[in-house]
Amino acid sequence: MAVCNILLYMQIILNEVAPVFMDQSAFSQSDIWGKKVVIEKGERLQIVAASGSGKTSLINFMYGLRKDFKGDIIINQKNTRQFTAEDWATYRSAHISIMFQDLRLFPLQTGRENIEIKRKLNPFKSPEALELMSNGLGIQNKLNQQVQICSYGEKQRIAVVRALQQPFNFILLDEPFSHLDDNNRKKAMQLIEEEATQRNAAIILADLKPIEFFNAQRTLYM
Amino acid sequence: MKKDISYKTIARLLNTGENRLSKIGSYTGLGVGMLLLFCCAQMFINLQQLIKDKNLRKNGFDYISISKNITNQNMGGDNRFNKADIEALKKQPFITAVAPLISNQFRAKASAGNILPFSTDLFLESIDDEFIDTLPPGFKWQPGQVDVPIIFSSDYLEIYNVFAPAQELPQLSQATIQSVNITLECFSPLGIQSFRGHIVGLSDRINSILVPKSFLTWANLHYGNSENPEASRLYLKTNDANNADLLNYLQQKDYRVNKDKTKFGRVKQVLQAVLSGMAVFSVLVILLAMLLFSFYLQLMIARSKDNLQLLVTLGYSPQWLGKTVSQKWVPVYAIIILIALAITQIFHLIFRQGIFNGVELLPLYIHWMVAALAVVLFLICIYTNERMVNKLIRKL
Repeated sequence: MAVCNILLYMQIILNEVAPVFMDQSAFSQSDIWGKKVVIEKGERLQIVAASGSGKTSLINFMYGLRKDFKGDIIINQKNTRQFTAEDWATYRSAHISIMFQDLRLFPLQTGRENIEIKRKLNPFKSPEALELMSNGLGIQNKLNQQVQICSYGEKQRIAVVRALQQPFNFILLDEPFSHLDDNNRKKAMQLIEEEATQRNAAIILADLKPIEFFNAQRTLYM
Repeated sequence: MKKDISYKTIARLLNTGENRLSKIGSYTGLGVGMLLLFCCAQMFINLQQLIKDKNLRKNGFDYISISKNITNQNMGGDNRFNKADIEALKKQPFITAVAPLISNQFRAKASAGNILPFSTDLFLESIDDEFIDTLPPGFKWQPGQVDVPIIFSSDYLEIYNVFAPAQELPQLSQATIQSVNITLECFSPLGIQSFRGHIVGLSDRINSILVPKSFLTWANLHYGNSENPEASRLYLKTNDANNADLLNYLQQKDYRVNKDKTKFGRVKQVLQAVLSGMAVFSVLVILLAMLLFSFYLQLMIARSKDNLQLLVTLGYSPQWLGKTVSQKWVPVYAIIILIALAITQIFHLIFRQGIFNGVELLPLYIHWMVAALAVVLFLICIYTNERMVNKLIRKL
């Protein structure tokens, strides 16, 4: 029974989820909207969708930032509609990590401060590991610089490092490499995959088109 | 690894620096309000202490005598206390007991024989034993007894000793007067009966010539042919002769009170009114300061809204944020209250030294109740603060 519980905990179930603001006729073409989708821990899932088809909405539904959807999202046998603010805090600090499309960094803080704020909340990586990751992505010189004066590509890499500081079973990536060149995309993707493998976590990557260097086990079209 | 977060982690994300004026204004207001309130409370306690020491109290009770005010308008009428008056007095919560001073309904005359060539008509009164301050065991009488014990007012003795030399009478000490044999003559329509009176005690409390109640009741019936009459003087037993309610009640009924015992009460009443007014004012100041501080907090949280929202998005618990942000001001409140307490202590010492010249009437330190008040206010400040911050953060 305990094993069963653990297994359930390692799943996110989308049960006929659909945004309330979208036309229902579009759902029949979608692999996700209005369908049952089970995402297992350790899985590599790619979600491909055109602009405006609700990628970011789905990510926000799963991360608890929006509730304007029909159907249910079940995590650990519990409907997310029953989550309290404290439940979400626990979930976000220990079980799910995210990289937002709009990054959501503190603009007046340095790169390091932005990463440290996440790392200290639930330390999984050491400060040294943070340095190594930053070196790997070529942003070591940007760590002491205010984020608002970094380029978008640099900010994206800071956001990647920030997302990898905590323990997680799932990591949500919303168009994570839109402003990176191929070389940096590969490095970032490789780092994320390594970290996910280390935690046996699932990667849920949503983008406009399939990313060739992501070892996706499953691709769903919206 | 354990959580490594504290206020310091998020300090730079909170926009606390600006609108310093409203912050400092509210701190000052809070400090001044607290200081005023503590001073009022301490002075209130000092006042109680000082007035308590001025009173002659016995077993924790005060005894005061009252009579109806005789004016030109009512002097023809009956100004004695009837049963309804006495019952009404007994019903007041601030009066423990009431006793009438019963007077004689017959002519009584006293003479002291050859040693003291002195003879006078006099009045006799009696009161319930429990109201007498110096009650010797021999103060009893039963029909057939020739000896009548008397309790004499020490004030009367003093007056006697003042005029005695002019009348060529000997001055008497308290011990001597108790050894004088007095012949007490009671007149009735049927004749005169003599008793042997002797003074068994002197009373500081009751200005009268007291005989046992059993004697006077008997004598009134036999010589005056009447029951005990209504009394024109009553004695009240009360927890505090300076109780404002008692004094107001007596004033409202237009009863005349022994002023000496209650004059501190009047001063106290006025001072208490002034202190209460100041206390209300200081509570208002504290409330205004807390309001100002809450505006400061609301503004700070509104300005830091984006950052706080992002912290919650990143997984920071709203509860932790509320607690951490509001606890930031705990030391500030503690310092403000400690400073206010310290200044209150200084004022208390100045009051004690300056006004009473260091006489040991008041304790050296402020009363524990004032310290307790400080603790209560501190807890209220922290509680309201935390509640408000939590509410604001939940609303983000």
